[in-house]
Amino acid sequence: MTIDTTASGPREPVSNVRHPSSNGMGKARANKKRNRPAWISGSLVAVWTIIVAFPLYFLAVTSLRQQSGYIVDGPLALPWPITFQNYVDVLTGQFMRYFANNVIVTVGAVVISVVFALFAAYAIVRSKSRLLRRFFYFMLLGLAIPAQAVIIPLYLIINELHLYDTLWAIILPAAAFGLPLAILVLVGSLRDIPGELYESMELDGATPWIAFRQLVLPLSRPAISTVTIYLALGAWNGFLFPLVLTQSQDVRVLTLGLWDFQTQFGVNIPGLTAAVTLSLVPLLVLYLFSRKQLLSGLTAGFSK
Amino acid sequence: MHINFRKSVLGGAAAITALALTLTACSSSDPEATASSDAPGATSSGGASESGLVSGPALVWAIEDASVNAINEDAITTFNDATGSTVKLETFANDPYKEKLRTGIGSDNQPDIFYNWGGGNLKQYSDAGHVADLTSWLDENPDFRDQFLPSVLGVGTVDGKVYGLPMQGVLPVVMYANKDVLAAAGIDAMATTWDELLSQITKLKVSGVQPIALAGNQAWTELMWLEYLLDRVGGPEKFQAIVNGDEGAWTDPAVIESLSMIQDLVNAGAFGTNYASVGYDDQGTIALMASGKVGYDLMGAWHIGALKGNGFEEFADSGSLEWGPFVSISGGVGDPNNIVGNPSNYYSVTESSPNQEVAQEFLLDTLTSESYVDALLEIGQVPAVAGIEDKLTDPFNKFTYNLVGNAPAFTQSWDQALDPATSEAMLTNLQKVFLLDMTPEEFGQAMDAV
Amino acid sequence: MSSPVTGQGRPSFVWAVPAFLFFAFFAIVPMIVVVWLSFTSWDALTAPTWIGLDNWARLGSDPILMESIRVTLGLTAFSWLIQTLIALPLGVWLARPGRSRATVGAVLFIPLLISSAGIGVLWGMLLDPNFGMAAIVGPWIGVTDGNFIGDPKLAFWVLVFVGSWQFVPFHALLYQGATRQIPASLYEAAQLDGASYLQQFRAITIPQLKHTIVTSSVLMIVGSLTYFDLVLILTDGGPGTATTTLPLHMYKQGFRAFDFGYASVLAVILLVLGTTLSVVLTRMTGFAKMESQREGL
Repeated sequence: MTIDTTASGPREPVSNVRHPSSNGMGKARANKKRNRPAWISGSLVAVWTIIVAFPLYFLAVTSLRQQSGYIVDGPLALPWPITFQNYVDVLTGQFMRYFANNVIVTVGAVVISVVFALFAAYAIVRSKSRLLRRFFYFMLLGLAIPAQAVIIPLYLIINELHLYDTLWAIILPAAAFGLPLAILVLVGSLRDIPGELYESMELDGATPWIAFRQLVLPLSRPAISTVTIYLALGAWNGFLFPLVLTQSQDVRVLTLGLWDFQTQFGVNIPGLTAAVTLSLVPLLVLYLFSRKQLLSGLTAGFSK
Repeated sequence: MHINFRKSVLGGAAAITALALTLTACSSSDPEATASSDAPGATSSGGASESGLVSGPALVWAIEDASVNAINEDAITTFNDATGSTVKLETFANDPYKEKLRTGIGSDNQPDIFYNWGGGNLKQYSDAGHVADLTSWLDENPDFRDQFLPSVLGVGTVDGKVYGLPMQGVLPVVMYANKDVLAAAGIDAMATTWDELLSQITKLKVSGVQPIALAGNQAWTELMWLEYLLDRVGGPEKFQAIVNGDEGAWTDPAVIESLSMIQDLVNAGAFGTNYASVGYDDQGTIALMASGKVGYDLMGAWHIGALKGNGFEEFADSGSLEWGPFVSISGGVGDPNNIVGNPSNYYSVTESSPNQEVAQEFLLDTLTSESYVDALLEIGQVPAVAGIEDKLTDPFNKFTYNLVGNAPAFTQSWDQALDPATSEAMLTNLQKVFLLDMTPEEFGQAMDAV
Repeated sequence: MSSPVTGQGRPSFVWAVPAFLFFAFFAIVPMIVVVWLSFTSWDALTAPTWIGLDNWARLGSDPILMESIRVTLGLTAFSWLIQTLIALPLGVWLARPGRSRATVGAVLFIPLLISSAGIGVLWGMLLDPNFGMAAIVGPWIGVTDGNFIGDPKLAFWVLVFVGSWQFVPFHALLYQGATRQIPASLYEAAQLDGASYLQQFRAITIPQLKHTIVTSSVLMIVGSLTYFDLVLILTDGGPGTATTTLPLHMYKQGFRAFDFGYASVLAVILLVLGTTLSVVLTRMTGFAKMESQREGL
């Protein structure tokens, strides 16, 4: 039984994975005449841009507004006088702790997923074991498992392991659920490495470990970064695992913290918007400096 | 500086801990209260030294709450220094604590004193025979016993036996009003009866404001109306029947009538039209009240702290904010002095504890001692201890204190008193009643079926 | 099993063992455990006890079950429809070069960065009927009192809308990437034939994007079937049970009512529904792909 939502058939399950190496390819140089404005899509874009931009505008202006100003000025007025007090309040609260937890969880989950997935992908592509082909389909099954459906047994298992309310309780399941896609993308990338390269290394008597280090690692670097971005975004924004598998403030992550701020700040809307904005900062910085890579990472494994 | 009234919104066990009573708002700093911090045993009679029985270290289990924990640590140090005992405090986060308690109590590593929520929470342990009956011991120390406000002590009492002693502040649910808004509608005093409230609703509507604020997005705020109405209409026994699981308790005529009265309010436009979109945790009813858009609000005593802690100090101190007890209902069975809300949290002694005497001495020396009371007052809590009127300078604290002191019965918030499954179903169905999607009869039947 | 190492210097299956064990332990074992739990009574405090089919027998008398399935399927269907109708033209538009398009794109993709929790909290503020945007925008569109998330019908559409706000950028990104890979020669030929913009869109763009449409649809459908974070934070399934999805119903039965046995029954249903849908859709994907791949190259 194959349940791969993105791959096609048994022979070439990863052919539709977009390889970072082919990113620049096929950018159709459009004929100028094709640029003639199509008012339908144009107006749709305009409307949607407004719909997207307004909440972002609200987020920005409200986070700079004085607390008392929110009720009086309404949600859309420009804030005056501008205050950074909301940011100060958020940063002097629990925010930095949540932030640090988020970093630990994200790094932990991504490192485990990527390392294990790389090993597995190398074996899948190069080993002749039939077992591994089965294993590959077995992993693809994972793409179809909704995390919610197994959260109750996970809660039981994490409790039995005495990991409840620790950061490991988030890292381990998040890493496990990141594996299928990571393997899918990495297998696709490793298949692109010409077989002759492996063979010549093997002829030289290289062990699999040497081939892995000297061939696989360098050549799959773009795919690794794509996968890393994808997994990191997922782990950074994860909600269900922390919600169910952690409890105390010491191990709270940002997403849960945001929800908690809602309670803590009560009616302090400006404080809440500052917290949401701050939770965005690392991704926003990444977005500003390497938008292309971030966006291609996001659609890892899904685009043509 | 923030208030953390429902900290358990996070995590699994939201329902049972729903009204975690940790008021950590900035206190209405009482200058006199800050002065004394010594001699805890001074006011209480007896003393552990008399007993001479000091076996192993007596263990106290409580939930994490920085300010309350600190007060307990101080009390323990003083007690240990005075008696040579080795009482020790262990704290746990909210939800794991309940699990710890359930599995730990009755086992070898159980505590000697444990923190609990009274009511149904305590009952399950006393029913299982794990909790020491303090009644006869209290009878020997009547001065100590009588220092607790009866209605609050009542929630630590199961079947006439005292199992728990209040160790924190009281948080009753009360009515708030914006005096200016009432005045603008030609109303010069808060309603004291149901009929008055109904006629004022009409007046307030005419004057163009929403009569009563309601955070209908969060059903526990709606529950407060049902809690009070049932208490007034049918008396506290009606809810006790529900807690006991009596057959047909949810379809009792008093329950149906209370729910009908709720729908009357909704139909009269008392809560406006968009109440179901309003949340308490996010924007909520506080802003509505402070900005003069509503006349009344029914909420827990933490509400004042929430106002002050969230940029509405000006309004809270302006004199526009008024408060009073829930209205009386003519023809109702319940005493109009009854209250609902969060009575307190409790310390109980385990039945099989080898250190029972030390534990009892500790409670005796601590809970009503001047330093303990002062320390609670200092963090903005109003202890359930009699005779401290003079210490209360804040008018609101004075009001809640007297309200609790005069109340024959203090019904615990239902979502806390009932088991989690019933509570969850109740909140969902109650929201439907407020939306007029469910009739009172349908509500009763649905709840009887749970 | 013969020698796992086939060929000198090739990696053995041992390389895949960590990933396999890890995945099996946290994804496969739980799938088995959840089925077992559905036959037990478990309150998370004492050990689960076997009660046979009791939990399953309760399905018939669960007043929320059918509603939650209806809400889930409705949410899935409308999310798919609306998100596709917006994301497809948006992606096609963004695919073409131009400074203004790039700028618009940069803004449009920002929601991708915000977590579901953040989006839930943000829209919670916006939808406050008295002080949020709902008070301003409501009257323009006939909701004079701004009562969006408090109205059982509107709350459903709010979820569809906010879900679109969150996910349209992702799918527009997919379509943008795919559109850029359509060979320009196809359009040039069409222009020589005098085809209008709309004709080109229908005759070239849509068929060329067929595979992406399927991929995007599968992701949307599987994704919205498990909408959880947003619903929990924004409406908590309310008002009443109007927006209670199957995953949320399961969560509440488990982690609020502590009825993990029955919640496991709901989880099994979710599991079956999710995987069946994935299998069915994958079949369709394979089918569609065969006929649309690399057409006209």
